[in-house]
Formats: sequence, structure tokens, C-alpha cells
Amino acid sequence: MKNYIKLVNFEFNRFFKIYLVLIALTVVVQLVGAIYEGFNYVDFAREMMQNQMITMEDFVRDYGPMSIYSFIKTIWFLGPVAICVVTLLIYSLFIWYRDWYGKSTFIYRLLMLPVERIKIFFAKVTTIFLCVLGLVSLQYVLLFLEHAILERIVPGPLFVNLPISSLLNFDFLVILYPPTFIEFLLYYGTGLVFLFVLFTMILLERSFRLKGIFLAACYGAVALTLILAPLIINDGVGGYLFPMELFLIEVFLIVFIGFVSVLLSGYLLKNKVWV
Amino acid sequence: MIEVKNVTKRYGRKKVLNGVTFTARKGEITCLIGVNGVGKTTILKAIMNLLPIDSGEILVNGERPDKHLYDKVSYTPDMLIVPPNLRIGEAMEFMADFYASWNQERAEEILTFFRLNRDDRISELSKGNRAKVNLLLGLALDIDYVLMDEPFSGIDIFTREEIANVFTSHLVEDRGVLITTHEINDIEHLIDRVIILDEGVIIKQFDTEQVREQEGKSVIDVMREVYNR
Amino acid sequence: MKIQFNHREPVYLQVIRYFKEEIARGNLEPGQEIPSRRELANQLKINPNTAQRAYKEMEEEGLIFTAGNMPSRITRDEMVLKRVREELLMEAVQNFIASIRAIDVSLDEALRLVEQNFYGKEGEHND
Repeated sequence: MKNYIKLVNFEFNRFFKIYLVLIALTVVVQLVGAIYEGFNYVDFAREMMQNQMITMEDFVRDYGPMSIYSFIKTIWFLGPVAICVVTLLIYSLFIWYRDWYGKSTFIYRLLMLPVERIKIFFAKVTTIFLCVLGLVSLQYVLLFLEHAILERIVPGPLFVNLPISSLLNFDFLVILYPPTFIEFLLYYGTGLVFLFVLFTMILLERSFRLKGIFLAACYGAVALTLILAPLIINDGVGGYLFPMELFLIEVFLIVFIGFVSVLLSGYLLKNKVWV
Repeated sequence: MIEVKNVTKRYGRKKVLNGVTFTARKGEITCLIGVNGVGKTTILKAIMNLLPIDSGEILVNGERPDKHLYDKVSYTPDMLIVPPNLRIGEAMEFMADFYASWNQERAEEILTFFRLNRDDRISELSKGNRAKVNLLLGLALDIDYVLMDEPFSGIDIFTREEIANVFTSHLVEDRGVLITTHEINDIEHLIDRVIILDEGVIIKQFDTEQVREQEGKSVIDVMREVYNR
Repeated sequence: MKIQFNHREPVYLQVIRYFKEEIARGNLEPGQEIPSRRELANQLKINPNTAQRAYKEMEEEGLIFTAGNMPSRITRDEMVLKRVREELLMEAVQNFIASIRAIDVSLDEALRLVEQNFYGKEGEHND
């Protein structure tokens, strides 16, 4: 356990600089964006009300009020989110390949640590996962701040002041901030299993190289098919299963795939991976 | 004792090791020599379980390798294997964190021996000093065997001398040393045993003093003979 | 301490000869402490096992002795020291004889040349 924590710490430190950049970028772009969008809306409203000689109420009716809903559809909000998602996805590959192809061949040292090698796998998974959780938490705080900024800038009648809890039910935010603990486990568990499968595919490639690419593709395809099969089959037979049954089958399959991935990765790391 | 028994390894269709058998003993300096081919490095990697072998067996002190192997044997490849943005001191702390066999006192001693500065960033070091850092991290462990891949290649003559001094110092003590090289000149008087590998096959193994005493030949004489040069 | 090693002769024998020469020259005195095998290996850049072997052989020949855990020392046995000198002298003479025989030179001629050159050349040997 101690070694695992040390490894996580080490892995995290190696990503720390990029991570800080992501955080800074998100904070700056989103907050500046909130201020800009707020003033922009107010300017636009003022202009319209003057030019068309309409009241605030008319403006709201014709052009819609300002709210955090409008903001999270802008590039100011979605841009940094997309950059964070893409960066973390790329780093999920890079976290392994940099050990082979970086300025130093650190994989030698990692594999020669007097530590069960599967801990390297878990340390890397944990690092990515913690980074995701960190960014999701940061986004949560930022949403409040952005809401507060807009509220200050936009005059009351033009602003829809909804409780933040209802905001989190919006769109993709439901997945990032699930309303129930079960859903949290489901969404984030699926994300974790996705990482397990991805890492297993990387290790297949690292073990068998050219042949490994093919094996990795097969493994990924099988995992995806297994997850989708019950949904498709159930659709095909016209919804034979109760939603709860389908849900449990999916949960079982996801846990199963995660389990197999960890076992396979452990085996590959111990016996097949090479430098 | 490190026992390599009948080990075979292919990369694709190419057989790089073909039934290789030898032992490296504690308290001896064994040298794997080969003019060409990648077999030498492959053997070291296989001993360290960094590469699966196709057949055969490798035992260290009579045991199959597991995670405890790395507290018994250290391996120094001829490339950098710690993140280069670390300082030397940080790399040492990393080792101390994970290895039960890390010996801080000895590490400090080697630091002085090699005249390295713990605050230097590894990325800013010369090639020779990087090789020294690699050796430092491998030699500061209290272990039975030290494996080094081409410790003398591509570095200047003075650094070569400094590194050769390690072999005659107490830093190696009664450990077993297994090194690979394609250039024997620097270390002809330092090694106990020579294993000549060619195209994945051991074509000769002998004790250096014995060959001098009984046949009046130098190591290079024997190499000339077996390579027909 | 520095030896120019011959690659085709056992290193341990070359080390022993080196010690004998130092003893004959008086650079190593009877009873003088000598380096440990590790120090010797380090100074001569040779394998510690080889240094160990040289010391073992020298001990067996009575050239050096070790009392308990003390460092090894050069023997004080006059007989042995004398023998070393004679042995080296004998070896030199035999080499000399072999060399002049090889070029078919008479002993008289050779000895005359030895007498002529001996003192003049001595300075160059002083190293």
C-alpha cells in the first residue's frame, strides 16, 4: 500500500505541470468568459431596448433572459472542458508510452522496482482518475463563481436565478455531477473500467507490439460488444427485460470486464511486457 | 550464482539467443563479449525479467525471479532510466523510497567517488556523468549482483578510467559483476571470466588467468581465434 | 606503484615478480607493511581475486607473512630474501644467455661488451 501511494505521488508529480496549465486555462477562460458574456448580454440588451424602444420584459420575451444555462453553451465554457477531456485522454496513452519513448527509458526503473508490477498499473489509473476528479471538482466551484459573476453583472429582471442544484441536472452535467450516489458509482465506475480496458489494450500492444495492436483492437471490440449486446438484443426483441434487469446485467458486465482487465494486465506486466 | 540455462529468444523470426547456458558467480567479474548482435543486452534484460524468454530457465541464487529479485540484482543499462528532470539527489531519494537494499552511506560515498553534485539536474549532465549516475543508482544497493550493459561505451577516456576504478574498489566488494562489452581493452586485467557470444550462441567461455597461464594467450588472442580474424 | 602488464602472462605471476623486484631493489624492506589485497587491486587496476591469488602464492613462498588480523608484511627471513635476489639474478642471466645464443655471439665478446656498457647504461635504468 505504501509503495502504491508513493507511485501515485510520483506519477502525479510527473503530470503536475500540465495539470496546472489545464487548471489555469480553465479558470481564466471560464471566468473571463463569464464576465465577457455578462457584459456583452447587458450591452446587447441596452442597445436593443434603446433602438427598438422596448421594455426589459419585452426584451426578455423576444431574446430570452441571461442565465448560467446560456453560458455553459458558449465556447468560453465548453472550450476548456473539451481541452481538459482531450488532454486527459491523450495523457492516458502518454502515461505509458512516455516511459518507453521519453527522454529516458523510465520503464526499466519502474519494472525493476521491488514492487508488484500491477501496482504500477493501479498507480497510473489512480493518477488519471484523481486528475479527472480534481477537474470535475474545480468545475463545480467555477460554476458557482460564474453564476455569481453573471448575477452581479446582469440586472435582476434580465437574469434567471435558478438554484445551482437544478443546474446540475442540465445536459452533460448530469453525468459529471450525478444526483444520487448509485449513479455516481455507475458513471464513474464505467469511466474507471474504460481506463482499465484502455490500459490493458496498451499493455497488449507493449507485450506483443505489432501483433499486439491487433490483439488490443480485438480486446477493445469484445469489451464494447459485451457492454452493448444486452441493450441491442433487448431492443431487438422489443424490450423483453425490465429496465432494472437490464441495469443489473450491465453493472455485472462492467464489473466483469474491469476484473478481467486487471487480471490480464497483471499477467502481461509480470510475464509478457518487455523493453 | 546467476544461472542461465539453455535460454532461447527470438525477435520475430530472428533467433537472438540460441540455447545459451552459463553462470555468473558471486565475487567474480564476468564479461559477456560479442563483436556483433544484440544477444548480450538481451541476456541481461532476460535475467532482470524485462523480457520474456521463449524457452530455458534463469535462476538467481537458485530461485526464479520475482519482485524480490530487484533487491538482489541491479541492472544498469547504457541509457538513462530515471526521469531527466530530476536532480541527482531526487533520483537518490526515489531509490531510497522503494528499495529496502538502498544504502545511503554507500550512495554518498559513490557520489564523492564520482565527484557528482547532488543538486545537478540529470538532464544537464554530460554523457559520462549520466553514466556515472546510472552506476551510482545501481551500486548503492546492498545486493549480490551488479549487471552493467556496455559501461564503457561512448564516454571519454577519463570517465572510462573512473568507472574502471569502481571494479577494483570496495564498492564492488564481494558481489558478482556481469558486464557486457564489445571492447575489452579497458578491462582486460579486471575480469575473471569471459563469455564470448556470437550470433546468439556461446562460442567460448574461459577464465582469463587460466588461459594466460595454460595457453599463454591474452583475451584478445582467444577472441581472434574464435572469430577467425 | 605501476606495472606495465603483459597480456599473455598470468597477472598474478606478474604481480609476484613485481614484488620480488621491489624487494631486490630494496624498495620494499624486510618487515615492511604492504597494501591490503583490495588496496593493491585498486593501485594496480587489477581484479581483486587476482591480487588475492598473488598474495596467497607469495605467502606460500614465504615472501610475505600475515599475523592474525594484522596487515601483511614482507618477510624478515634473510634466507628467503637472499633467494629472491638470486632467483631474479639467475633469471636475468638466463635471459641474457638465451639472447646472445640466439645471435650466436661468443661469451668473451658478450662479456667485453657488458663491461664496456654496464656503467654507462646504468643511469638510464634509474626509474
